[in-house]
Amino acid sequence: MELMAREMQVRPGPVPDGLDGAVVGPGQHLLIGDEFLLREPDFAFHYRRGSGVTVARTGAAEAGEEALFLSGSVYAAVACINGLMPIHASAVAVGGKVVAFTGQAGAGKSTLAAALSQLGLPLFCDDTLLLAPGSLSAVAASAGDAVTCLPGHKRMKLWPDAAELTGSVALDEVSASYRKVYVTPGGGDVAKPLPLGALLFLEVGQAGEEARIVPLTGGEKIARLDDDHYTRTMFDSATRHGRHERFVLQARIAREVTMARFVRGLNREQFWSSTHYLAEYLSAMCGS
Amino acid sequence: MKPVTKIPERFVETEVDQELVLMRLADGDFFSLEGTARSIWLAIDGQRDRERIIAAVADEFATQPDSVRADVTAFLDELGEAGLIVG
Repeated sequence: MELMAREMQVRPGPVPDGLDGAVVGPGQHLLIGDEFLLREPDFAFHYRRGSGVTVARTGAAEAGEEALFLSGSVYAAVACINGLMPIHASAVAVGGKVVAFTGQAGAGKSTLAAALSQLGLPLFCDDTLLLAPGSLSAVAASAGDAVTCLPGHKRMKLWPDAAELTGSVALDEVSASYRKVYVTPGGGDVAKPLPLGALLFLEVGQAGEEARIVPLTGGEKIARLDDDHYTRTMFDSATRHGRHERFVLQARIAREVTMARFVRGLNREQFWSSTHYLAEYLSAMCGS
Repeated sequence: MKPVTKIPERFVETEVDQELVLMRLADGDFFSLEGTARSIWLAIDGQRDRERIIAAVADEFATQPDSVRADVTAFLDELGEAGLIVG
């Protein structure tokens, strides 16, 4: 994706203490207009639309830790400032449509995407799904256009046990203090925009509980979309959206996209049976 | 009787999957209206008073006003308490 690849170019240099008169201390970040500033004890990132990302290193931070913030908060902020709507989700492509998985940290978004990739469904993105702004507009809605997703270019990260469970080849470690490993998706990846077909909310059931898919409708869909607080706050800051504008966008997505809860136990014994069950459901739904 | 009136500056509404979804702008709370609740909401046109809303809903469900009166009244009270209507 050219826009994000261009805007995410990083160079070392000086970084301001704050934005618009507001000081940003260690552990804080701020998004105002077309600028974003994030400060950690050992490094800080500053982004301005059209100028790329500047990093200032003030301590002995590991490169991996820096990369983690770059691919997390900075990536989401850069997307928002450029009008893209991020959803905290990992996704695969099924029958020419994107099926995305979202949920709380530890719900298994990346693990599930990696496992489905091993079953032959190519990876679309890991951790952050980006929706194209044009496809969310009222004009696109009245023309009957699909909500379009832009492919991610972030490397996929898994905990070592998830890499082993999914049969993914582990490459280098993210950092000494954050021991996820980078992996290459077994089913390859997708490099072109695709319509968003489905959004699944991952929930952890009881150990031994049979996996099930529970469709969501109407207001439940909008309420679930509204739960993605982290990306929602950044997107609202960048677009200056209030509740009304956000509701209109969420309703547009809710009308177009199939949504469901995917509930399964997280025990290893059932992992592949629940993943196969999901893969069959998705293939039937997306016509692959 | 006074007409029952929506207070449009306090909410936004849309339809998703045949469900009417309202969001109260003051706090972002959602209200999902289906079935009878949806019919009552749609019957609030700024002209009808409570009795005429009860009659309209009864007519829609091909029943007598007395059989829907309690439910319609309770729901109108809820909408009033939520700050979405007056009357």
